[in-house]
Amino acid sequence: MTERPGLDTGASPPPAIAAAGGRPVFLPSEVDPTVFDEAFLRQLERLLLLMRSPARGGLKGGRRSVKRGQSVEFADYRDYSMGDDLRQLDWNVYARLEKLFVKLFVEEEDVTVTLLIDASASMATGTPEKLLFAKRAAAALGYIGLASEDRVAVSVLAGRMARRRSAMRGSGRVFRLLADLSSISVTDGPTDLVAAARHAAAQLSGRGVLILLSDLLDPAADKVIRELAATGSELIVLHILSPDELDPPLEGDLRLVDTETGEQVDVTVDLATLDAYKARLTDWKAGFADLAAKRRASYVDLPSDVNLAELMFAELRRRRVLG
Amino acid sequence: MPFTSPLALLGLLFIPAVIAMYLLKLRRDEAVVPSTLLWNRLLTDVEANAPWQKLRRSLLLLLQLLLVVILALLAARPFVERPAGLARDLVLVVDTSASMGATDIVPDRLTAAKAVAIEALRDLPTGGKVSVIAADSSARIVVNGSADLGRVRQAIEGITVSPTRGDLGDALELASKLAARSGDAQVLVATDAALSDPPTGKVSAPVKVLQVGRDRKNQAIVALAVRVAPSGVTRSVFVSVANLDVESASRRLEVWGADRLIEVRDVFLDAQARTDIIIDDVPDDVGAIEVRLTGVDAALATPPDQLAVDDRAWAIIPPTRTRLILVVGEGDPYLETALSYLPDAELYGVTPKDYGPASQRTDGRPWDLIIFEDYLPATLPEVPILAIDPPRTSPLGEVAGTLRNPGIATLDPDEPILRYVDLSTTHIAEAARLTTPDWARTIIPGPKGAPLLYAGTRDGLATAVLAFEPRQSDLPLQVAFPILIANLTGELMGGSTAPTEAVEPGTPVQLIIPAGASGLTVTAPDGSVTEFVRASSTDAAVTFAGATQPGIYTVTPVVTASPTPAPSGSGSPSASPSATPGASGSPPPDDPYAPVRFAVDLFDIGESSIAPGSAAAIEALGTTTGASPSPGSGSGSGGGVTERPTTRDELWIPIVLLVLVVLTAEWALYHRDGVARIRRGLATRLGRGERGTA
Repeated sequence: MTERPGLDTGASPPPAIAAAGGRPVFLPSEVDPTVFDEAFLRQLERLLLLMRSPARGGLKGGRRSVKRGQSVEFADYRDYSMGDDLRQLDWNVYARLEKLFVKLFVEEEDVTVTLLIDASASMATGTPEKLLFAKRAAAALGYIGLASEDRVAVSVLAGRMARRRSAMRGSGRVFRLLADLSSISVTDGPTDLVAAARHAAAQLSGRGVLILLSDLLDPAADKVIRELAATGSELIVLHILSPDELDPPLEGDLRLVDTETGEQVDVTVDLATLDAYKARLTDWKAGFADLAAKRRASYVDLPSDVNLAELMFAELRRRRVLG
Repeated sequence: MPFTSPLALLGLLFIPAVIAMYLLKLRRDEAVVPSTLLWNRLLTDVEANAPWQKLRRSLLLLLQLLLVVILALLAARPFVERPAGLARDLVLVVDTSASMGATDIVPDRLTAAKAVAIEALRDLPTGGKVSVIAADSSARIVVNGSADLGRVRQAIEGITVSPTRGDLGDALELASKLAARSGDAQVLVATDAALSDPPTGKVSAPVKVLQVGRDRKNQAIVALAVRVAPSGVTRSVFVSVANLDVESASRRLEVWGADRLIEVRDVFLDAQARTDIIIDDVPDDVGAIEVRLTGVDAALATPPDQLAVDDRAWAIIPPTRTRLILVVGEGDPYLETALSYLPDAELYGVTPKDYGPASQRTDGRPWDLIIFEDYLPATLPEVPILAIDPPRTSPLGEVAGTLRNPGIATLDPDEPILRYVDLSTTHIAEAARLTTPDWARTIIPGPKGAPLLYAGTRDGLATAVLAFEPRQSDLPLQVAFPILIANLTGELMGGSTAPTEAVEPGTPVQLIIPAGASGLTVTAPDGSVTEFVRASSTDAAVTFAGATQPGIYTVTPVVTASPTPAPSGSGSPSASPSATPGASGSPPPDDPYAPVRFAVDLFDIGESSIAPGSAAAIEALGTTTGASPSPGSGSGSGGGVTERPTTRDELWIPIVLLVLVVLTAEWALYHRDGVARIRRGLATRLGRGERGTA
């Protein structure tokens, strides 16, 4: 296995926090300092994005491929044919059977991990902000991909479009990944998540891993899952909702204003209403979970105040997204 | 349903106002949310349940409308009418005598009687009038013909127990006069009917008794007197305790004086009997004593009987003073020697020929005793007199000759003058033959009914007559002689043998303002002070009517100018307040301006007998004709044409309760979320606690 490059250059790691500015010294200036610290990055290096089925990639990488190739893991035998590499002949078998067989090994290739980040206006709400949490989660997952020699691409869903950044590969590109994520900001006005997801799907080349980070607050959010699952890529949906959305701190006669569309809804919030809201919310999330299961996608609902380390090392591993 | 104030139903006009407030568009606070997606779907669900939701939302409105209706009803004061149980003109007599303080009913009988009386007012017809009479030693009108039941109730509540003898007859007579003003009157008597003198006068209206009391457990001090021994040397306390219960009882008698406990006796009291206790040798430095009847076990918190007012009594001990004795005669050394042994006595002597106006004292003070020895003046002085061997018939008695060697007949062993006097070896050579007058009692009987010594009160003056000269007998040679002289002069010199009687509570007391004093102050046992100012120079006395509390009252003359003793003039040169006859205070001291005291005690066995009496006997005093149609009293309507009066029962209590219920329901409905949150929070906290324990 290829040695994964770390960020440290010596035996002793550099201090995570600079003495003066509060910014980790290892971070470039264009990277949001709230995203990572070094110790967390080192823990992420031990993780791997799991795929339900091996994907076919391009370059040799750290992930099992459907192709047979050169690696240390034996896969099968086949009859020798002219032109085969004689080094792959199994001479022990020839000694017993007097037939030439070539040993086949599992080929390890890279896959493209695409991080689809919902940058609609609704993602700018919540405490902590859902978009910030999405960026941190995307950074963590992207770094895992980079550390696994996968190609990682970031695509921002806003308006009716998906703005895909160029893919990157290798752990050394982590700062670029962080810079790309840091530059993401919410888009004013309504977002057509379905159109944006469709646009993102069209930008994919081949199968890979699609990680959607969104609050799915769109009337046709189920179509988004369908569209993305239909690409054949491994789809992971991280459904991010803020604590205020899970348990609204509302009470009394209110006029609710949609931060994205400006739509107004008059409602009298009492305990019964809140109970109905929570029931409706549970059903809503259950619908996404069922849909994802049918489409062989992974669905993980997350509150935005969940600890990122807990998310990475416990929640996503429990959900078989990371291994 | 009739209403007292139907105009208050105009309050129902608030109903449209409440509805209008609900119809007005609700002003809502804006709240920015990430998306209204889920809320829109929620509203869709809510609208699916619209009928129930509308009903739930309108429940608050319905409750508020109900509240408006109930409040309007409450203001309109609905009532129901029913036949009245009492006449239109009610005279309520509340017995406030001492026995009404009995605690056989908690807290006491008077409180129970007042409660019963106030409850009875519910049967008063609409517009009926009430007069209230408080009956203690005299009848007192508390409320006169008032239709304001609130004021009447307040007046009844303000009635207190008077520690005096009750005179229900006086109160019924007054009630009868008040009832006579109306053609439809009735007398209600709230009493325990424990009356020593049941009233006998007829009442011109039906009488109904609201009787209270059920027990008779009581022991009482019914008499207390301090007796100075005839010798003037020792003092004795005489206490009489009556057990008015039907069971025997043991009580403890404590005698207090000058704030110290002088004597304690445990006494066993037979049922329905009196027990007399004599306590001798009371210290002479004690000016007044208090006797308390307590329980044998002082640790018990419960009172030993059910009437406390008669468990304490007070008495004044006459102060020691110098007594002035004038002996008019040729001189008898035996007599003078015996008189010289008397304590606190000054002895003066004068021959008969020198006796006259010149023998009056220059300081104006009268003689406490004049002894005429074988001599009587033409005009007897207005002072106590001891006549020895009177030479002639006089107002002191008839002299009918001479007795030779008279023998002494059988003596009365209970005679106080003969206490410690042994005359068994006495021989008399010669004595005057006397006849005992009507005002006197024979002390030493002689032969054939002729007294050798008699004593009594003649025209208010203590007087005694000895039929023989001491030297005509061998009595002066015996021990009995100085004792007899001491006992005899002690009886004659004022109040020594007469008990110091207490003033009955509520009795007016006449207090004499001493010459030179501008007035008096009377300090009651509770410390309250009453001041009297001499209105004119001719006013010699004032009447104090405030002696209602048992205890010791102190009368202090108010001297504004330099006191100069009056040489003559008024009969009492000393500034001594004297009570009315039968209510004597402490005897006048030497200092005319010194404070004097008198005691007020109940001493009424009739009031101490707290056994409830016969209510029927009191009700029988009322008429049964021409009175109100009172169904409860059993009296009928006189003419049968009087319209039966009705009374109103206002329904405000159930309405107020309904208001509270509706308000509670409205509050619970309005705050149901908060209540549910608290309940869930507690359930969550308890759940955590249980998990923590597990």
